[in-house]
Order: sequence, then structure tokens, then C-alpha cells
Amino acid sequence: MPEVVIPIGPQHPALKEPVNFRVIADGEKIVRLDLDLSYNHRGIEKAAEQRNFIRVLPLLERVCGICSHSHATAFAKGIEELMGLRIPPRAQYIRTIIAELERMHSHLLWLGVAAHEIGFNTLFMWTWRDREEVQDTLEEMSGNRVHYGMNEVGGVRRDLSASQVKAALGRLPSLQERIGKYVDMVNNQRTMLVRFRGIGTLSKEEALEFGTVGPTARASGVDYDTRRDDPYLVYDEVPWDVVTASDGDVFGRTEVRIGEIAESIRIVRHCLENLPEGPIRVNAPKTAPKGEVLSRYEAPRGELVHFIRTNGTDRVERVDIRTPTLANWTSVAHELVGQNLADIPVIVAAIDPCLSCTSRLTVINSRDKKECQVSFEELRRKKKTTWAGGGPA
Amino acid sequence: MISPVLAIIYIFIIPGFFFLFAYALFLEYLDRRIIARMQTRVGPPLIQPVADLIKMLGKEVIDPAGVDRALFDAIPLVALAAVMTAFLYVPVVGNSPFAFQGDLVLVLYLLTIPTIALFLLGWLSRNIFSAVGGIRAVTQLFIYEVPFFLALLTPALMAGTWSVSEIARWQQDNLWFAVLQPIAFVIALVGLQAKLERTPFDIPEAETEIVAGPWTELTGRRLAAMHLAFDIYLVAGSALVAALFLGGPLTPWTITPVWLGWIAGFFIFIGKTLVILLILSAFKAATGRIRIDQLNRIGWKYLAGASIVQLAIVLVMNSVRVNV
Amino acid sequence: MNEPCSLDFVRETMKDFGTADQAGRGRFRIDTTPEKIRNAVNACRERLHCNRFIAISSADTPPVLELIYHFTGPHRAVISLAIGVPREAPVTPTLSDILPPAGILERQIHDLFGIEFTGHPGLKKIILNEDWPEGEFPLRKDWKPGPDTFYGGFREG
Repeated sequence: MPEVVIPIGPQHPALKEPVNFRVIADGEKIVRLDLDLSYNHRGIEKAAEQRNFIRVLPLLERVCGICSHSHATAFAKGIEELMGLRIPPRAQYIRTIIAELERMHSHLLWLGVAAHEIGFNTLFMWTWRDREEVQDTLEEMSGNRVHYGMNEVGGVRRDLSASQVKAALGRLPSLQERIGKYVDMVNNQRTMLVRFRGIGTLSKEEALEFGTVGPTARASGVDYDTRRDDPYLVYDEVPWDVVTASDGDVFGRTEVRIGEIAESIRIVRHCLENLPEGPIRVNAPKTAPKGEVLSRYEAPRGELVHFIRTNGTDRVERVDIRTPTLANWTSVAHELVGQNLADIPVIVAAIDPCLSCTSRLTVINSRDKKECQVSFEELRRKKKTTWAGGGPA
Repeated sequence: MISPVLAIIYIFIIPGFFFLFAYALFLEYLDRRIIARMQTRVGPPLIQPVADLIKMLGKEVIDPAGVDRALFDAIPLVALAAVMTAFLYVPVVGNSPFAFQGDLVLVLYLLTIPTIALFLLGWLSRNIFSAVGGIRAVTQLFIYEVPFFLALLTPALMAGTWSVSEIARWQQDNLWFAVLQPIAFVIALVGLQAKLERTPFDIPEAETEIVAGPWTELTGRRLAAMHLAFDIYLVAGSALVAALFLGGPLTPWTITPVWLGWIAGFFIFIGKTLVILLILSAFKAATGRIRIDQLNRIGWKYLAGASIVQLAIVLVMNSVRVNV
Repeated sequence: MNEPCSLDFVRETMKDFGTADQAGRGRFRIDTTPEKIRNAVNACRERLHCNRFIAISSADTPPVLELIYHFTGPHRAVISLAIGVPREAPVTPTLSDILPPAGILERQIHDLFGIEFTGHPGLKKIILNEDWPEGEFPLRKDWKPGPDTFYGGFREG
């Protein structure tokens, strides 16, 4: 077969969010691909410049549904560092608990999605059912399944009651047992092994060279984890281990993520059992002194970087977000060349892409209410529609 | 041959088309229910496949630009006709009244038509996803068809006849072929799963890779016809394997009077096909999809190899029996 | 090398490129120029043992557009190399041949700030839609959406 262009996206059943890979394939092998990430672009970074610290946190939370707490915490801790604030220990513990619960539900979601990409729907159903346990806990604590709204500059907004703590602790043992079963399954299930082993392999040198982060990098033996390298919240007080693997393929990434779920259960249990008493917030000043900070956070997908610059007012001058998925795209583009068509969903899913995080820059913040109606017809075509009307500050 | 009145009843009502449609929809319900329970879900209610069929018949038929409409209408119907006809030659209540020497070959031929239909649909759809799916369907056909045919050949060899009904009757006096030729039984089941394009062999319609493969551009009554064709395919395939390996609707002793034999045979037939469905559903729930090149390797190395080994064993057993 | 970097060591190693300063806990910032950035990056990777590239941060601080390249290594410190690109002629050499992840990031920065990266293999639009008008760089401080400009996509009527 001569070279054929196969459009994967922007609408495609393998993708959970719109992205356009134009794959140029020769038979079933991929020759090269073009990437277009603009579909989820919403203008958040510019919009963030117009909002004060109280209003900007809900905006930044909505960069992404699954890593919402990561963005909010990264920003909040950056601003707190600039202001020189020390937040109370109970707030740190609560932030950590929510962060690790978020990691758990994100990894369980990923496991189901990876199984679905290879047609193994049974594992998909099972992992998502277990994920409901985590979601129930999060909903009890924060009122929401995503976008928890727990953070503010100076601490957390909601406290955990004793009954919530007890209910959360009660759910952990069954989750731990299920994770044990998944470890077993991943190591022994023939179709999973056959579809995951040897796919999308990234050596340690390549991982470092391409700047990969998160479980994708740790699966190749790269030993970087922001929670240990640049400790924040309570990660330097709680006993936990960094999980790495040496395979560097999709199977290695599966192992790392399941291992991380087990570690998260450990951290959550420790934090819940040792939750210190005390206030949950301090009064933060309205404005932040002039300065710049690089706030790094280990989101479920990898290292999230917020570069924040303030200028003495109650707004940021610039927040530059580099998400983990963006860092991992280079490795995907490199890995996909030479692989089979059938492996595209598996390889792309293996970096756990969060396209909402990837495409969040620039403005659409106009004073003159320029609005666009989008019909379903137009959505079906491969163009992005500009939503205007972000609202003046 | 049977009287024309009985033939009409046999073809159109029971165990003919009316029963066939009902049983096909029932098996679809059972399949989805079993898999759902294995996945800790609830699963659809009994009436669901009927509701789906009626809904699909009522939907708008969309013709992609430049597609040959007459062919697009005809091909699902041809596939449907093929599997319905194949079912008539499989013993359901005793011998099939249309049995003749060589109807095994006819049934196998008719049962390949749905796959060819999928390939044609994929090719005609003028859509890259469908074309890739169609090509995968035919590639898969080449891979599993050889072991599958060989596995169905060995019972015929041992029974010394080319008629499905007579092979079933042969097992009445001897053991089931599932016991005598277990390798062939396993290959037949795996081959059936591949023919029906169910996980792990649903490569041509891999949802996460090529949208829906050759099914992508089927809508409305065409989709209904093709969907029903594949449901009936499941019944016909299970019935064939049940007849060849599990003795069909017959028990090791003859039941008199004849009409009681028919009723008993009917229920035995349903029981045996349900067993095969259970195996196929468990197979589908417990595995993920493999890639076409991996299927290629497994098919030629293991399936074809095993079927040739089975063939050799049967030839040896035949000569031993003749001498004894 | 797993020992933590000290300010003096960083200052000494990078003195050809600019002055080094402590910029927060565990982070060092070196201000340099676009002409020297490629050599500075190589020096950072070899002499300061930074084997992982973190990100390119960008900001509009009139009168320049700032680009900051962050690196880290087994010593766990973060080294930030900052350059300022003049707004009237925003040109700087590309790093995508020595630093593969910079390819995507430079495309993004080009879309949003209008900085030209000389030697980049393909500065196509990546983060803005294909029919975004030319010359509009949204993240610059002086950019406002024009009331009559069409920013791509579809609109009713």
C-alpha cells in the first residue's frame, strides 16, 4: 500500500480529548506524524493575569479535570513562597491527602483506559468500579468528584471531620487488595502482556534527552520525582518510596502506575491516621511582593511547573504553566515512528495525555463580547472554534 | 425427502427462520448478560436485542458521497441470506431434512460469506477506516480459515461422511468428537471466535483504532441486516460445532416415538449451543484484542500446526480401527 | 554527582555567560544574552551536570521579552538561564537541535509571543488554530483582541 494519511483526531474513539495527529502510514507502519494541539485552548494564562489571588485559583483549577488539585496547589504554594507565608500543618496534611487521592483516581482511570485501548473491557470495568471508591471519598471530603476547590492562598478551605476520616480509612483496605489483584493480572494476563511489552520503548538516555517526566520517565529508570527532589507539602515527613521500573515500555509504565497507587494508599493512610490538630488556614495578605518563583509539583502525569511572576499587586504579572503532558509529547512523536497503527492508541495512552492541560494558553478575553455559536455540524469538521467572552476583569 | 407442508414449516417457522431469529436475539441477550455479569455490571434486559433491532430499522440511512447504493443495500442482505441458509443444513431436531453428502462443505462455504461481505463493504465505503478494516477482515480470514477447516475436516474423516447430519448420527453410536479429538474441538472453538470477529479477534472492528472498521458507514436498515446476520452467524456457527463435536441434537440412545425424539432433540440442541455460547462469552470477557501480525504468528504457528497434528492422529486412528 | 550545587560553584562555572544569583530555595538564575545562550546551555549540561531539561518559561517584561530555560540534574538544584529578546526584533537562535523538547515549546512561544527562533525546522502553528490571523501575538502585554478581526473558526451569519 502506498503512503496513506490516516487522521487520528480531532474526533476519534481512541482519544478522550481532541488532538489532531495526522498519521502518515505505509500499510500498518507509521512513517511520520504531524501534531496539532489547539483544540482545547481556552486562554487561561492570559485570563489569570486579570484576576486576583482569590479569583484566580478556581480558574487555574479548571485547566484540567483530573489534575485540578495539582494546578491549584502548585500555584498556591508558589504564591505562598513569594509572600513568605507558612501555612499550618493541618492544612498541609489535608492538601497532601487530596493530592494523593487525586493521584489514585487518575491512575485507576488510566489503567482502565489503557485496557480499553487494547479492547480488554473487563479490566476497564473493574478498575473504574474501584475508582468509584476513591471518588466517593473525595466527594465526602470536598463535595465534588473533580475540581475539589480545597485550596486557597494561606491554607485549605474545608476541614475534614472525624467521621470523614474514618470513612476514608475504611475504604482503603479493599482498594489495597484490588491493587494486589491488578499487579497479578498485569503480570500474567497474556493479551495484556502481548500488547504492552515491547511497545513504545524509551531508553533511559532517550527519556532524559526528550525531557520526559512522571511515570513515563520513571518506567525507563529515570529516578526523578519532584516529591522527593524538591519536597513540598508533607512528603518529607511521610514514609514513602519512589517507584521505578527498568523496561521503558508501556508495560513498565503500567507497573510504575500501579506501584504508585499502592504508595499513595500508604501515604493517605499515614496522613489520615496522623492528622495534626490546629487551624486550617492563615490570613494571607492581599498583595504579593515583587518576585518570581518556579513552583514544581508532581502531578499524576508527571512534573508540573508553574513559573509565577508577581509585581506587588494582588494579581500575577505572569503565570507560565508547563504541563507534564506537553513535556511528554516529544517522546510520543519519537516513539510512534516505525510502530504499528494498532499501537497508536496504546502508546499515546501510555503517557496518560491530558490535552486540556496541554492546550491552555492565550487569551480570548475581549471587552466586546464577541461570541460564536457552534453547531454540531461545525464541531464535526476539523476546526477549532474560538469561544470569546472571557469577561473583563 | 419430507412433504412440502412440513418443509415450509421447517424452513419458515420452527426450527426455521422464525425460531432462528428469536434464538439469535436470545443468544445475543445471553452473551451480553453473561459478559456484563463477569464485568460486575448489570447488563441489558431480555428485550434489549429486539429493541435494538427495531431502533436500527427505524433510523435514517446515510449514503456517503459516491458510494454505490444498490450494492450497499444488497450486501448485508446477501450476508443475512447466506447464514440463514447455512442454518438449514445443520441438524436441529434430528437429521436436517435437506441433508446431502457434501453439505458440510456447503455450510462452511456459506459461513465465509459474511466476512467477504464485510470486506466488500469496507472497500466500497470510500473511507480510510473502513478500507483498513475490510483488509484486516480478509487477512484474518486467511489466517484462521485453514486451521478451522482442518479441524472440521477431522470429524468428517473419522465418521467417513461429508454430511453434517450423518456426522452427528455417527456420534450417537460412538463417543462425541469432543472426546475423541479434543485438539480439533479447541481449534474449532478458537476458529469460531475468530470467524465471528469477537475479542480477542475483533481486529477488523477495533473501535479504538479504526472507529468501526467496515461497519463505519452502515446505517439504518443496512446496519440492522448486518447486525442480525452476525447474530444468526453465532447461532449457525455454534450449531455447527455442536453438531460436529457434541453430537448435535442426538443422545446416545434412540428415543421412541419419533415425535418425542424431535422434542427432546430440540431441547438438547438448545442446551448444547448454550454451552458453546458460554465458552465463547467467557473467552470474550477474559481477553483483550491482539494485533493482526500477532494473530498471524499465532495462527500459523500454533493453530495450523495443531490442526495438522490432529489430522495425523486421526489418520492413524482410522487405520488402527480399520485393522481392528 | 549528587552533592548539592553551591552558588560559588555555579558562579565560577558560568562566569563567561553572565552573573549568577540565588533565586529561591535550590534555584540559581544566570542572566545571559541570546548570542551566548547555545553555549550556555551546553556548558550547563556538561560542566554543571544538568541532564534534564525542565521547561522554557516566557514572560513579557517591557522592554524585552524574557525567555528562561530551566535545567536540573542529579544534584537536584534548578539552574535557570534567562535571556531578554528585544520586542522590536524578537529573534533568538533555536535550541531544538541540541534540546529535543524545545521544539514543541519554541513553536508554542512563537505562536503566543511572536519570537522568531532561527534554525527551527518548522515553526508552524501548534497552540493556536490554523486560521488565526498573522501578527497577532496574544500573550504580549500590549495585545488586545481587535473588534473587527476574525480569529478563526466559525461564526454565525
